[in-house]
Amino acid sequence: MRRLFALRSIALVLLLQTLAPGATRASDKLLEVVVSQPFLEMHSGPGRGYPVVYVVERDDTVTVLFSRTDWYKVRAPQGQEGWARREDLALTHLASGEPAPIPPYPEFPTHRWEVGAGYGVYNRQNLVTAYADFGLTTSIDAEFVLQQALGTLDNRYIGSIGLRHTILPEWKWFSPTIGIGTAYQHIKDIAPPAPLQANNQMAYVSVGARGFITRRFMWRADWRHYVVFNNLNVYEDLEEWKFGLAVFF
Amino acid sequence: MEIRLGSVLLAAALLSGCGWFHRGEKPRNEVVADAPEANPTIIEPQVNRREVKTPKIKAKDIELGAYFGALSIQDFGVNPVYGVRAAYHVTEDVFFEGFVGRSKAGTTSLEDVFPDITVVSNAGRHFTYYDLDLGYNVLPGEIFLGRGRAFNSQLYVTVGVGDVKFAEQDHFGLNFGVGERLLITDWLALHLDVRDHIFETDLTGRTKNVDNIEATIGLTTFF
Repeated sequence: MRRLFALRSIALVLLLQTLAPGATRASDKLLEVVVSQPFLEMHSGPGRGYPVVYVVERDDTVTVLFSRTDWYKVRAPQGQEGWARREDLALTHLASGEPAPIPPYPEFPTHRWEVGAGYGVYNRQNLVTAYADFGLTTSIDAEFVLQQALGTLDNRYIGSIGLRHTILPEWKWFSPTIGIGTAYQHIKDIAPPAPLQANNQMAYVSVGARGFITRRFMWRADWRHYVVFNNLNVYEDLEEWKFGLAVFF
Repeated sequence: MEIRLGSVLLAAALLSGCGWFHRGEKPRNEVVADAPEANPTIIEPQVNRREVKTPKIKAKDIELGAYFGALSIQDFGVNPVYGVRAAYHVTEDVFFEGFVGRSKAGTTSLEDVFPDITVVSNAGRHFTYYDLDLGYNVLPGEIFLGRGRAFNSQLYVTVGVGDVKFAEQDHFGLNFGVGERLLITDWLALHLDVRDHIFETDLTGRTKNVDNIEATIGLTTFF
């Protein structure tokens, strides 16, 4: 009985060890920085309201374990651990005298990647949208969008790829955009009449705007006019507007 | 006088003879110095230059996990629900979160009373949803367990849009939620959530908005 218990506890320990992705291996090199300012405050949690639980003095070395949003988990020379604010840690330096490599926030006007999601209306149907955006230059982006439009008559899945031009990228809070691209739509019928063609190629033009909110957080609004290509010789067009929130890198 | 001169000459001859015998050997205590050569060779050190790499800080802003609980499907009883969730923490306050969940509806009261009536086919009883949410940590804080233990926690609210597939139909769904994230360690969190999935349906004869409230418990890890 006792042996079984011992075996079980060994198994449990092994399981917990394999399940611990956060545990740092001894071989992992961690960044060490020297406090340059009079002191570095360590909070009990990664947030402005958490109390200061330890203070590291000038010229002491702290080990940076990992980061979460704007906070860095650090270890003091005597082993105490806590969370340091990004702005505070950016004032420290390396043992060689260079400033600590605390990455700054990505600059909004020149950011490269954007990932976001939002809500909109497509052909008078509710629209759920998710997108990724890659900056080719500071003003021209390639955008990839996946959307689902949910209506009472049908459901539509829309994928699109296009180019977008930000007219004044240096305008931080509000900057107009125009775009052009191609899209593909699949219609899943709910109520009759069934669509004459379930899959369509489309082209679109768009007018929109984007703006900075805080840190790496931004908003984007877009109006699109689609032209649907079909084999029925009928001119069909659709409209869409949407609003989304995104993270940029 | 002659003898003295002769002995001096003899001694000189002997000494020079001894010198002749030793001419091939180097003097014992002489320091060997490198003679300046015509072509001085520069010694290239065969050591690779050590690159000083500054270790990178790992960002742990992504949270992945699973949950299970009970979902009250309006008119169809309370049923088990399970799902997976993924979140990205943008700032200490704001995060994006996605959910995919699944449940299976029970029977309505009407079907219980009149067993011959079928409101939804058996295949249509699956309740599957996805949500794209924006979350806000409203009340961050600490939870104390006994005298010596404190866990960081955040009470958060979420709002989002998504799709609810029920009765073999996709519906546009709005969802509102409130939850508590309790960090057991820096990388493992326990979640307690209550969320309402709202969508419009005419399944029971008239078009109405239905509230489907779920209470779940989940575990997530930070990467």
